[in-house]
Amino acid sequence: MMSSLFARTVISYLIVFAVPMMLPVAFFKLVGLGGLRELVTYEARDTPLHRLDPRLKVLYPIAMGILSIILNWDYMLIVFGLSVIPWFWLRPSRAKVRVLMVMVIGPALTGFWSQGLYYLPPPPIHFIYQFPWTISWLGSPGITAYGMVFGLQQSARVLVTVSTSMLVLVSTDVGDFTWAFERFRMPPQVGFAMTAALRFLPDMISRTMLVFRAVELRGYDLSRPRWFQVNKWPDYIRRVARCVVLITVPLLIGSLRGTSTMAMVADARGFGANKRRGSLRVHRTTAVDIAGYVVLVVLVVTAIILNHFRIGARPY
Amino acid sequence: MAISTNPDRNPELVAEDISFAYLGASTAALRHASIAVSAGEVVLVTGLSGCGKSTLALALCGLIPSRVQGELRGQVTFGGRPLSGLPPHEASQLVGMVFQNPNLQLINQTVQSEVAFGPENLALPQPEIAARVDWCLDVTGMAAMRMASTITLSGGQKQRTAIAATLAMKPRILVLDEPLSDLDPVGAQEVLGTLRRLAGDEGTGVVIIEHRVDEVAPWADRVVLMDSGRMLLDCPPREAWADPVLWGRIGVGIPDMVRLAHALPDAFPGRLPLSVPEAASQVEETWLVPALAQAAAARVRATAPHPGNGVSPRESAHSPPVLSWQGVSVEFGANRAIDDVTLSIADGDWVAMIGANGSGKSTLTGLTVGLGTPSAGQVFFRGKPIRPGRVFEHAAQVALLLQAADEMLFEETVIGELKFGSKFRALPPNPVLTVDEAIEFFGFQGQEQMSPWELSQGGRQRLALGALLVGAPGVLVLDEPTTGQDAQRMREFLRLLEAVRERTGLTVVTVTHDIRGLASRAARVVLLGAGRVQLDGPASEVFAQTEELERWGVLAPPVARLQRELLGPSLTDVLLSVESLAAVARSYHGLPATQAASAGESVPGSRVGTP
Repeated sequence: MMSSLFARTVISYLIVFAVPMMLPVAFFKLVGLGGLRELVTYEARDTPLHRLDPRLKVLYPIAMGILSIILNWDYMLIVFGLSVIPWFWLRPSRAKVRVLMVMVIGPALTGFWSQGLYYLPPPPIHFIYQFPWTISWLGSPGITAYGMVFGLQQSARVLVTVSTSMLVLVSTDVGDFTWAFERFRMPPQVGFAMTAALRFLPDMISRTMLVFRAVELRGYDLSRPRWFQVNKWPDYIRRVARCVVLITVPLLIGSLRGTSTMAMVADARGFGANKRRGSLRVHRTTAVDIAGYVVLVVLVVTAIILNHFRIGARPY
Repeated sequence: MAISTNPDRNPELVAEDISFAYLGASTAALRHASIAVSAGEVVLVTGLSGCGKSTLALALCGLIPSRVQGELRGQVTFGGRPLSGLPPHEASQLVGMVFQNPNLQLINQTVQSEVAFGPENLALPQPEIAARVDWCLDVTGMAAMRMASTITLSGGQKQRTAIAATLAMKPRILVLDEPLSDLDPVGAQEVLGTLRRLAGDEGTGVVIIEHRVDEVAPWADRVVLMDSGRMLLDCPPREAWADPVLWGRIGVGIPDMVRLAHALPDAFPGRLPLSVPEAASQVEETWLVPALAQAAAARVRATAPHPGNGVSPRESAHSPPVLSWQGVSVEFGANRAIDDVTLSIADGDWVAMIGANGSGKSTLTGLTVGLGTPSAGQVFFRGKPIRPGRVFEHAAQVALLLQAADEMLFEETVIGELKFGSKFRALPPNPVLTVDEAIEFFGFQGQEQMSPWELSQGGRQRLALGALLVGAPGVLVLDEPTTGQDAQRMREFLRLLEAVRERTGLTVVTVTHDIRGLASRAARVVLLGAGRVQLDGPASEVFAQTEELERWGVLAPPVARLQRELLGPSLTDVLLSVESLAAVARSYHGLPATQAASAGESVPGSRVGTP
């Protein structure tokens, strides 16, 4: 029965489409547009991570990114483990953890799954499940463990960078970013652009949600079909796409109005008046900061040395 | 008009005969305007929307012409030094500006970073920056919240943070453009308290542009009235309001106590009262007190025999409810925004929901169209449960007009907006208004092909309301429809609402902070506090409970507070308008009461007619 062409076709389609279909559902159920606000919202708390030297925090994702590029999979596991530890130190809110899990694991899962389907080893190929001709025309002859492992490695590399960047965003006031950028001799405009983006992105998301509500209140149907109402999903996607066009004008007008006021406020507060800025923050380098710098330097230098001797290096 | 100054003070900021036209505009926004402001002085600038108040503020701060393009004539100087040509960061150390919407002014993520932003840009030494931040946070009462995230602040706290951030530039004069417009009475008092301290203790000159004159009047040194870019008056408050005819002709509101004094000159023989305590102290020994007591007793006698009267409408309503909330709670994380609310609204009712910011008003009304999900209980429309998330479905039954009516417009033409709903669902057999009727009723004849964005703000609000009524809703829910509007536009909106009710018989639920206007005219008032219904009854009874209202962050209308001050806590029912008080006075003197009540005229011997 299970080996019949029909059964194999059904199973194959499920394998191919289960993950891509599951991800949007997980996004809407667990995150939603409103949940996106959590992604970039700074949580003002007093933890050791919040108190770390902002320069160290800016360097942290860069260093971890270098490690994730040059090390092979075995060593990557260690790096990945290291990148998770600070999250326990930070203890983010449950809402943020939920959003982070979906937004980080979702794309990683997609990478893992798609590589399993499309990254093929040299022959002879051992398939976990081989697809019949009724689906192999889509370009994948089946799902392989080789591809999935490769996908897992690639996803883990992405995860390390995303996780470390998120950690820094959540625990660092943007004023600290600006300060760090200035200490790195970068133009203050870079810090200000980042400040404005991180400050107003949650507002923009809120406004988008408000306009989506408004369009529904005016009689536009944005009601989502149940997951099993497969025949209704194309129409729902068409309605959402059309709605995006509808809401663009009020969103743009609202945003443009806001930006002129914001520009005047920045001018009035003297932004750009001097080449150098002062700082309220006094970052006295602590033992923890020094330890952090040492750890980062040791990790990167060790990785480069090991890489030079082809230990733990990627095979290409 | 000649510059008016306080003879005891030396003016620092002087705008002399300034005119300004925005780039591409055919008419000037400011015409020969002159004003002078001294240290420690508080100047209230008022006028209709679009009369040039905000343009004046931009000019006073030196942002015109450096950041706002157009043609400027005349000069703004500070201490004799021209301000108009200074770069904004230099001008802002002399004259600071707080814009209307605090959300657009808070660029940083924490209160402390926001306040430090300006001094940091000036490259001041760290101890100086820290000292300024500490001072600004202390003087604005935000010290305890210095590490708070700016997006989590209440409206009042955001506005105080914006003031603190502006003060950090150490300006000698502070200009605030409608700082109270989005605030509930508690938030407004927080901000006004801060400004009082600044002017009194720190000697900062304060220019407040505001429609809510009742709240600012008691402590303004001068009042400036603007119309069509011109300054019509610039004098001390009592002098400015001595003749209310001019104010009435332009349509600009004046404080209720001033109106009352003009309507009842026999009761107010002294100087014009600017606040409720002042008015109470003037009339406590006059005939007005027995007149009010007599009228109150008569109202009690008139209502006593009817067992239903005076009882909460939720108990007395006989008609089946059009909307009802049964044991509804709503939680946002650990915060319970609505806590076990049971409430019903009968067909044809006009209910005002009042309460401080964050009391749960919008959350509660949003549930009626499926916005939000109750954690307990259920909401019903004509006995049928409202399903959370099915906004499209329920919007056909309950028309919800958002406070940001502009966000509800999506089409290129007025007619397109009115037909918008019918594009996506079948036209109801019995619409409240057809498209043609809506065009006529809301006055859009000849404007059908215009872009909604060419209409005035009031026009866009009317259009959004009209578009909602081209359907068959059973209830109209209005979320803060008069916020930030001047007295004339408020009156126009109230007239429009009355006309809509008269024509359609719709049930109306308004969420509002506008206690004097909108809430006082509703038949029934529901006070929400801490997510619960704290008071529910006829407006005249709810507004008699002034202490309870204050406890939940709401100030009763000045007229109601005056009656409570004069007649004490035993008063259970108050008159809600100056016109009704004047009618009581007429009646006490043996004159027909209806004239004053209906026309808002004053009793014989009044100084002048009320505006």
